[in-house]
Amino acid sequence: MAKKLGKKARKFARKGLQTVQKQKRKQRTFFKKKSAPRGRGLNGEAPDENEENLNHERNVSQLDQNVGGGHVFDKNIGNLLGEEDEVELEDDFSDSDGYLSEDTECPYISENENENISRDDTARGTFQEENTEIKMQIAKQKKELDKLLAKDKEFAKFLESRRSQLEQYDRMVSDDEEVEGDEEEEEEEEQEEQTRQPVTQTTLDVWCWLVTEDPNSPALRNLLNLYHNASLFGVITSRNEKSAQIVSHEVYSTVINFVLCEADGIFRALLGVAENSNAERILMKLKSSKEWLNVGPLVKSYFKSSIKLLNQVTDTMLLVFLLFRLMSSVVFLHAFSSLGRRLIKILVRFWSTGEDQLSTSAFLLMKEVASQLSSDYFNICMKAMYRTFVARCKFVDDSNLARIDFMKSSFLEITSLDVQQSYLVAVSSLQRLGDVVKHSSTTKKKEDLMKINNWQYINCLNLWVKFICLNYKENNLQQLFDKAVRVIFGVTSLFTGPRFLPLKLKCAQMLNDLSLTSGHFIPVSSLVFECLDLTGGVTGKMDGDEEPRLKLSTLLKVPGNLLKSRRFQEECVRSSVEVLCTHFSQWSFHVSLPELSTIPLILLKRCHEKATVESVRRLIKRFIDQAEQNRDFLQMKRDGVSFSPNDQTSIDNFLLLEKSNAKSTFTQFYASMLQNSQIRNMVK
Amino acid sequence: MGKRRKVILPPALPPETPDEEFEISDEDVEFFSENRTFTHFLAHFDRKKIDKHVTRVADKSEDEIERLYERRNRNNAPLDSRENDLQVDPVDALPIKTLDGKLQYRTTKKVRSEEGHASTDLTGEEDAEKQGTNLIRLTKAERNKKLKKEKKEAKKLKEDEDIAPNSPKEKIHSEVLKEVEEEISAEESFGVKKIKLAEIGMALLEDPEANIRSLKELLDFCKDKDPQVVKLGLMSMLAVFKDIIPSYRIRELTDKELAMPVSEAVRKTRYFEYTLLRSYKSYLQKLIELQKEAIFKLVVVRCMCTLLEAAPHFNLSEKLLAGTVRNISSSDDVIRKLCCEAIKSLFKNEGKHGGEGTVRAVRLIAQLVKKHHCQLHPDCLEVFLSLRFDEDLGKHENKAEENNKFTKNKKGKQEPMKHLPPSEKKKSKQELIAKTRGEVYADYKAVSFAPDSEKRQRMQSDTLSAVFETYFRILKHAVDASDPRFMPETSGSHAQPLLAPCLEGLGKFSHLIDLDFMADLMSCLKQLSGFRSGTHLQSKTFNVNSSGSDRSSNRLTVSERLQCCIVAFKIMKSNLDALNVDLQDFFVQLYNLLLEYRPYRDRGEVLAEALKTMLWDGRQHDMQRAAAFIKRLATFSLSFGSSEAMAALATLKQLLQKNTKCRSLLENDAGGGSISGLVVKYQPEATDPYLSGALASVLWELSLLSKHYNPSVSQMASNILSMTNLKPTQNIVNPSLIALNPIQAFWESTVQKELLKSMNAKVPPSLKRKRKRDQDMEYYVLDPQKLRNIDSQVIGEEEAKLRFEEHFKVLRDISENERLKGELNRTLASISLYDEFKREKREKERSVVLKSGKKKAKVLVKRSSS
Repeated sequence: MAKKLGKKARKFARKGLQTVQKQKRKQRTFFKKKSAPRGRGLNGEAPDENEENLNHERNVSQLDQNVGGGHVFDKNIGNLLGEEDEVELEDDFSDSDGYLSEDTECPYISENENENISRDDTARGTFQEENTEIKMQIAKQKKELDKLLAKDKEFAKFLESRRSQLEQYDRMVSDDEEVEGDEEEEEEEEQEEQTRQPVTQTTLDVWCWLVTEDPNSPALRNLLNLYHNASLFGVITSRNEKSAQIVSHEVYSTVINFVLCEADGIFRALLGVAENSNAERILMKLKSSKEWLNVGPLVKSYFKSSIKLLNQVTDTMLLVFLLFRLMSSVVFLHAFSSLGRRLIKILVRFWSTGEDQLSTSAFLLMKEVASQLSSDYFNICMKAMYRTFVARCKFVDDSNLARIDFMKSSFLEITSLDVQQSYLVAVSSLQRLGDVVKHSSTTKKKEDLMKINNWQYINCLNLWVKFICLNYKENNLQQLFDKAVRVIFGVTSLFTGPRFLPLKLKCAQMLNDLSLTSGHFIPVSSLVFECLDLTGGVTGKMDGDEEPRLKLSTLLKVPGNLLKSRRFQEECVRSSVEVLCTHFSQWSFHVSLPELSTIPLILLKRCHEKATVESVRRLIKRFIDQAEQNRDFLQMKRDGVSFSPNDQTSIDNFLLLEKSNAKSTFTQFYASMLQNSQIRNMVK
Repeated sequence: MGKRRKVILPPALPPETPDEEFEISDEDVEFFSENRTFTHFLAHFDRKKIDKHVTRVADKSEDEIERLYERRNRNNAPLDSRENDLQVDPVDALPIKTLDGKLQYRTTKKVRSEEGHASTDLTGEEDAEKQGTNLIRLTKAERNKKLKKEKKEAKKLKEDEDIAPNSPKEKIHSEVLKEVEEEISAEESFGVKKIKLAEIGMALLEDPEANIRSLKELLDFCKDKDPQVVKLGLMSMLAVFKDIIPSYRIRELTDKELAMPVSEAVRKTRYFEYTLLRSYKSYLQKLIELQKEAIFKLVVVRCMCTLLEAAPHFNLSEKLLAGTVRNISSSDDVIRKLCCEAIKSLFKNEGKHGGEGTVRAVRLIAQLVKKHHCQLHPDCLEVFLSLRFDEDLGKHENKAEENNKFTKNKKGKQEPMKHLPPSEKKKSKQELIAKTRGEVYADYKAVSFAPDSEKRQRMQSDTLSAVFETYFRILKHAVDASDPRFMPETSGSHAQPLLAPCLEGLGKFSHLIDLDFMADLMSCLKQLSGFRSGTHLQSKTFNVNSSGSDRSSNRLTVSERLQCCIVAFKIMKSNLDALNVDLQDFFVQLYNLLLEYRPYRDRGEVLAEALKTMLWDGRQHDMQRAAAFIKRLATFSLSFGSSEAMAALATLKQLLQKNTKCRSLLENDAGGGSISGLVVKYQPEATDPYLSGALASVLWELSLLSKHYNPSVSQMASNILSMTNLKPTQNIVNPSLIALNPIQAFWESTVQKELLKSMNAKVPPSLKRKRKRDQDMEYYVLDPQKLRNIDSQVIGEEEAKLRFEEHFKVLRDISENERLKGELNRTLASISLYDEFKREKREKERSVVLKSGKKKAKVLVKRSSS
């Protein structure tokens, strides 16, 4: 959270409470080591919530995630991530300071008189009022102090003697930064103070003009330095007046805008590669060319400042803007691995917590990074994303269903960029998931079962199942497939009883997906039999039409009071019929469909007899009718053929034509059923 | 004694203590007179040693004593600790007076009680043994001598104490003493008692005959008020009894025998036995009495069970047994497990009690079951499974004897081989040993209650009848309960807790069931397995229509019903020739139960066992039935997990191999060929295998099963499919799979086993590295349109500019705010400093005043003194 808020705001938040700071110092080592993104400062800085209304939304969402019951699964994360070699993204880009040496001949035009005065148009932010209030208080207190001074002459002397103590008060407010470890910035400041002088809008305009005219102009360095200053703006002002180089908002925004928009083009021009030339060429250039020696530091400064800016800015739209600007020059990152890591870290944070647009653009940029740069970057990206996903999928409800879906699918996008690499991660994660099941099935302890019966586990499993489904056709993922099926069956074997039906249905869905992509037969039907046995004996009131529909997709374990309720039964039957539907539709033209549907149909009929709720009855009845139709159709067709069950090729060719046409009512029924279910699961 | 003590300095006292303080010795005496138990440790004083020591010490000068004391203390802990335990060091045993005048009597005791804390939770015996090892060095004679001395000394001490209260000073201290005493007694008496317990226990274990009387003392501990002490007492007695109970039963002496004059040794033994028996009896009484109290329950049960295991032959074992059986169905897991284990060991080690215990225990359990109307914990019937019945007792006996002889001979031969006798003396010794051994063996034979085979047979049949009585009772009860007429009364999720172990037992002992019961038993089982006599022929429609209600009327679980079928078949199998019962009904039952089976709710292994006993093991089957089962099993494996499917397929394969004609199912022979049965068309939903018309069907399932995700299932399916081409005489398709019976097949592919398979971490070579470098990326999961939309939503430069300006302002305001707050703080701090300033000022002033005041005072003092 801390990094995201921007240093300024963070510091501000800490100011009020010294205890917070103390506490934080204690915790800092711990969190740094852990480096799981969610661990970042969530405890230490919780109190700043109320003061920080700028990015309240983001705050809240994250707090929500972390407050409830996170402890239970902490171990689990360990399990899921395990020895996943945690790349310490913490390393800083301390290889050099952010400033470029400037050419002194660049013009500085000072027209201070009309520039500096634009103070009055302050932001509409909340601090305006607070500031005036404080000013008034200061005036009041000052008066009092004056009175005291007047009253007692010796007091002035006394005060003088205590000056150092008083100074500390002053520092207490702003000095946290030094403790916090932003040493790099300090170094930077100390180096060259004299040369800085306030840049006016006119100067800036001239610089910009110079640069656009000739990319090689020394003004570029000045501009980048100014950009760097702008990125540090909030951090430094309070301590010294050095970044007074930027005094007006116009300069601030112009320099940022100009650099962001033009930098990529300028760099390319300097390197002598065409605007739209592809990544390989640039990479080639990066390695060999002499131009790079000159341009390199400029690019580095640009990225460094941009990353700082990303940390500073809180406005979503601005962030999106920044990200899009950065996208074009991603290739250059190749030369600066630590900066790249830093950037990925920020991106992952945006991706996992940001609003819709922000997370999407962060994802796009990440994909850019992963696809354009070397496989190291790919690895870092993927692992960081996976880790974040694992940490953020502990709870599923209506509000974050979409987010988890997005995270899943964007992760899949990234992984499918390089299946070979992601395969290894998939193997180790699935192995770990399997180990958890294995362990639980031997101990059968409640806490072990809890490790499986939670969203984190199920989401991870689901993620890899999707990965397998996505890449099965083009790659040889048989091993992963086998493991996944085994793990899923292992999970289902651990939980019996109607309370765990949602979990089982989820497993059944995953199995269906796997079966569909692989073409292997997976017996799914037995998983829903338990569900069918359950029907009947509804105790809830029948007039409950107004009560909200139960969403099984957000449940793993059904609360006891719902077990006998009508809507639960309805949902159960509906979901299990859907599972059967998928199962049947997959084999709807296979020669042995009649046999496949025999037992489920017998049970469904029983269920139909028992069911007391009309809607359930209707649902089952329709399904039975269609399935019987399917069965009869196949039986009829089958009677006409002469091959035997061991004639595999004939069986494979059986009814191929009908399959491709798929006009029969039952296929349409299956299709509509599946579509409905998808819609139902998406709708909130 | 008091005098003697005076000489030695108590350890904690500083050397300069004035002599008056030594009056304490009187208080000592008084204290001991009031706390008799505290004198126990004194009982261990070796008088000689004390005397020696005291005199020696008394001769020394004070400094020397101190040095002596120090040195001893230093050595004490590591080296002399043993000695300390055994004989309390006089110096250490003395009370210490601390600087504030309190007496400390603890030093040695404390060490010991702490020791005790560590090791005596429930294992007093351990403690006893530990200390017992220290005693081993003493020979018996020495010990006896010592004991006598101790007694004498104790007596003397008593006398001393009787005299002591005359001292007048004692009354002054009495109140203080009382306090001290209360304080100490609470903590210490427990420790003291514990030590005492350990000592008695040690003594008893050391020489039971001599110390048999102290059993009574031990018994007294069990009457203590402190439950902790009682527990310890019980446990110590347990340890003692476990050790000293003889391997024979003690017989009450007749009057005649009592009247006869006997030798000293015999009298001694008689006395020993008499005392032992008496205290054992009262111990058991105590146990039974305490059993009712909740806090002692566990301890008591543990004692009883251990005793029962250790000495099932001994007198009064009936009581023990009764107590154990009473708790066998306890709701407390620990107690129940203990009791069950005890009973099981009773059954397993029949040699210890000659089988009488078994009969008695079985009878008691039978009574228990009867009394509780079969509503007990299943564990208590499971113990029957550890019963063993010898079918040919006579033979066994002979064999055992031979065995015995053999071992004896072996021993006899081996020993002399080992130690080659160098001298005549040793030879004679050997002979003597051999002779004694022979005598002992003869004696043992005479005394031992290894009964003759006839008696054993009788007992065994008693046991059997009791066991089967119990089993039948449970069956009967289950039948009654499952009868719809009784339904409302016996509602409950699991009304028949005992049925499962009962069926298991019946299966195990099926060969021992009397033929007379067979018919009844079979009908019982039939009913329980869900079959209702008469209805099955009424019509299948009835069953189809009312299948729902039919199932609910039978309250047994699927596993239990399957078990019924299994038992029926086992009984059939073991009594093949004697019986002529048609088991067809059970086949019908199995045929339908296959549909009721739910993985993980029902026990898959039971299903596999049923398949094995009923189908796999069976001989030639009726063709109709075989075909029906083949078809149903194939269908079954399409819907259930891989382990069930494997079990089913293994059975199916066996059936196909045995019933060669059924192989026509593997081929799609239009028109059904010559062997179609009564029903022309296959009826998958039929409840009667004979009416299903399965012969007319084709095993299409196998084609889908060969696509099964589990390689072993798909392999099995393809294997079966390839049987089509075999001639009827050819059987073996794949030798690796043929050996699997359904149960093995089931366990081979359980989920747990499947999970054990690990993955190969190598990347398969065929994996693609599809890395797209071109701009025109495709998306797999996400909606590309949506992503492109994002592009258009990005704000323009102008907008960005404005927003950046805004951002700048916010930042600036924040820093302004910070600066201002700093200033405010500083000002506030300055103001608050003013207080401090004032205070300092005032203090300065005051100090000035004070100084002057002091000066004045000093001057005054000087003046007055001068």
